[in-house]
Amino acid sequence: MTYVSIKNLTFRYNKRQTPIIDNLSFAMNKGEIVGIVGASGSGKSTLLRIIAGLEQPEQGTIEVDQKMMMDDTCWVETEQRGVGMVFQDYALFPHLNVADNIGFGMHKLKRSERKQRLQEMLELVQMTDYAKRYPHELSGGQQQRVAMARALAPKPSILLMDEPFSNLDAHLKANIRKELLQILRRAGITCLFVSHDQADIEAICEREFCITANSGGNFCSC
Amino acid sequence: MNKRRLFINLQKRMNVWTIVSLTGAAVILLPILYVLSGLIRPANDNWESVKQFLLTDYVIGSLKLVLFTGFFATSIGVVLAWLVVGYTFPLRKWFRWALMLPLAVPPYIAAYTYATMTSYTGFIQATLRNQFDIHVTPGTIEVMSTRGAVFILTLFLFPYVFMIAKMFLERQSAVYIENARLLGHKRLSLFFNVVLPISRPAIIAGLMLVVFEVLSDYGVANYFGVQTLSTAIFQTWFSMYDVDSAMRLAAWLMVVIIGIFVLERYLRRNQQYNTSMKQNKPLAPKPLKGAAAFGATAFCMIVFLLSFVIPVVQLIVWATWTYEKMWSADLIELALNSLSGAAIATFVILILALLSAKTVRTMSSWPAYLLTKLMTVGYAVPGAIIAIGVLAVCIQLDKWLFPIYASLGMGKGMLWLSTSLFMLLAGYVIRFMATGYNAIETGYDKIPRSYSEAARTLGHGPASTFFKIELPLLRGSIVTGFILTFVEIVKELPITMLLRPFNFDTLAARTYQFAIDERIYEAALPSLLLISISLFSVLCILNIEKEKTK
Ligand SMILES: Nc1ncnc2c1ncn2[C@@H]1O[C@H](COP(=O)(O)OP(=O)(O)OP(=O)(O)O)[C@@H](O)[C@H]1O
Ligand SMILES: [Mg+2]
Repeated sequence: MTYVSIKNLTFRYNKRQTPIIDNLSFAMNKGEIVGIVGASGSGKSTLLRIIAGLEQPEQGTIEVDQKMMMDDTCWVETEQRGVGMVFQDYALFPHLNVADNIGFGMHKLKRSERKQRLQEMLELVQMTDYAKRYPHELSGGQQQRVAMARALAPKPSILLMDEPFSNLDAHLKANIRKELLQILRRAGITCLFVSHDQADIEAICEREFCITANSGGNFCSC
Repeated sequence: MNKRRLFINLQKRMNVWTIVSLTGAAVILLPILYVLSGLIRPANDNWESVKQFLLTDYVIGSLKLVLFTGFFATSIGVVLAWLVVGYTFPLRKWFRWALMLPLAVPPYIAAYTYATMTSYTGFIQATLRNQFDIHVTPGTIEVMSTRGAVFILTLFLFPYVFMIAKMFLERQSAVYIENARLLGHKRLSLFFNVVLPISRPAIIAGLMLVVFEVLSDYGVANYFGVQTLSTAIFQTWFSMYDVDSAMRLAAWLMVVIIGIFVLERYLRRNQQYNTSMKQNKPLAPKPLKGAAAFGATAFCMIVFLLSFVIPVVQLIVWATWTYEKMWSADLIELALNSLSGAAIATFVILILALLSAKTVRTMSSWPAYLLTKLMTVGYAVPGAIIAIGVLAVCIQLDKWLFPIYASLGMGKGMLWLSTSLFMLLAGYVIRFMATGYNAIETGYDKIPRSYSEAARTLGHGPASTFFKIELPLLRGSIVTGFILTFVEIVKELPITMLLRPFNFDTLAARTYQFAIDERIYEAALPSLLLISISLFSVLCILNIEKEKTK
């Protein structure tokens, strides 16, 4: 059954340019981990930002878990979409420690629930011992795991990951890929994963799309 | 795009933030536009005579001050900046920050201090006469003239150029200068062929600050009897009671300012400031030896003595003469007035600055951007113009509000806004918005956008994101912005003189009043108080900067 459905999406940053995303459609099932590859500048990050509601496309519809995020008549703000996102630079808040970072998205839960969920998340990403540390006191891989935990904590309907490995050393990658896959599996989350490294996608994703820049209907399934 | 989509778009952009900051921008622009509109209103008779007999003199007076002060302040500022960045010599480290201290001395205080010191009965001539039996031909060292005004304005405004040029040279010049040194450029050739050209944008930015300060100056020019557009506005207003002509003069001055503004943009057309946060390799200074080192130290020392030590010491001496008489409850009240007025205005400025910086950041649509940029034009608009604009707008508002005052039982024909502290505060806010806004914007630029976006994907709306993420990360910038704005307001003279309510006196206004009344020695103590407040703030900022670079 279709869980995420995106239809006829068209987007450009500048009215005078040709669209960066042109009439794009695709669908995902629940729990599926789908990879997106494509050259630099082909619009991968932009696609994720559109789904998160950080950019507004010219046309198209986005539906996640039977909830209409946007179409011709409606527009749901980012903060109401319930979409989780792991940013390329992780964007961990420097003035909050690990626990507060992870707790940041759970402000609507009750206190006791929040505490319990925080423990779950810390265990999920194996960062229990680091709860009181600040982001700058963590290694790149640890920061990435905290960012994952933070995005997963409010139980998003879908997790968007933008090049989560780009800040990591190459020799760490193999291990971290495995860890990441485990975390995603255990969380049972539907995930859209962007990378320009084919090996990442093959290790983690069940299915992949290739996105190419500015070619009308710029989407092909490989 | 269909209508429905247009509506969604509008809804998305028009939130509380936008509305508040757009309103703020409009309120700030209103008085300035009002003044400009004076150009197209019909003139009265008095204006015809002002135009015929005086306008040219005023314009020439202003231009003379701007040209000479601009030239000298820039020369001194750049040379000093290059000396302390490019070379090592005795006391260099100390001069790097000591040469900014003159900023704490308001030029109008320096003006009467120097004028009195060099007069016939002043310290210098008296010493020469009594100790050495040298009789100076009258007029040789007196600074009461255009020459004097240029001298004072140069000495106390050059730190603007020094500060900006130094910052630029320290952070961004290493690559070019080391290359030029490898290619065999030395000393003068290096300075004229490399240092000057590459620091052009920084020099122009500093020069512009000086130019706007000079055009805005009332205290120095008036004390030295130099006729400028700014002093003319005061005269037509207070001596001729002709607010209309004063407004028209203000409009003319505004045209000059806009011209200079355009010129600045033109001079910097191809040069975007390199605002990259990347800390470039700092320049390794070359040691100076022997006579050159001595010369450098001597030059810095002379400038520092003239622009800080001498006037301050002289003021301290005078203050001890009048200490008992002046140290009355009155002085404390003056200080409290100064501090509280400045604190309230600064507070308003920072709130507005935060709101509009946030708006500019969240939406990239050009009207909001433009309006917010316009909000900060006040720094280029002389205090006298802002004062007239605010007064005119407030009187107009009072007229509209008459019925409301009446219904509140406040009496008929009551001028409430235009006789209250509100006017003064509004003047401060408009004039110094830019100082606060720039500090906040710089702080915002250092927060990655992804932080705010991450907060939103985690279910926090714009307000919650602002209070939980952006505000804590902006703390340093807010403190800096507060101190910078605060100190400018405490020193501000023209706006205070023109807009203060009947029974409200500040340190700056009283000091100047004493000086004009030739009660120079009595002015010393309030002057010192003012300088101490400024000095304290300047030191705070320097300390914060030092912490940051660590
Ligand atoms: N804010 C913006 N304004 C204008 N153009 C933009 C903006 N952001 C991105 N672009 C342009 O949109 C195109 C797609 O950018 P995007 O960041 O989505 O690429 P990407 O596929 O993620 O590339 P990479 O692999 O390098 O991260 C690029 O050509 C880029 O220059
Ligand atoms: Mg990208």
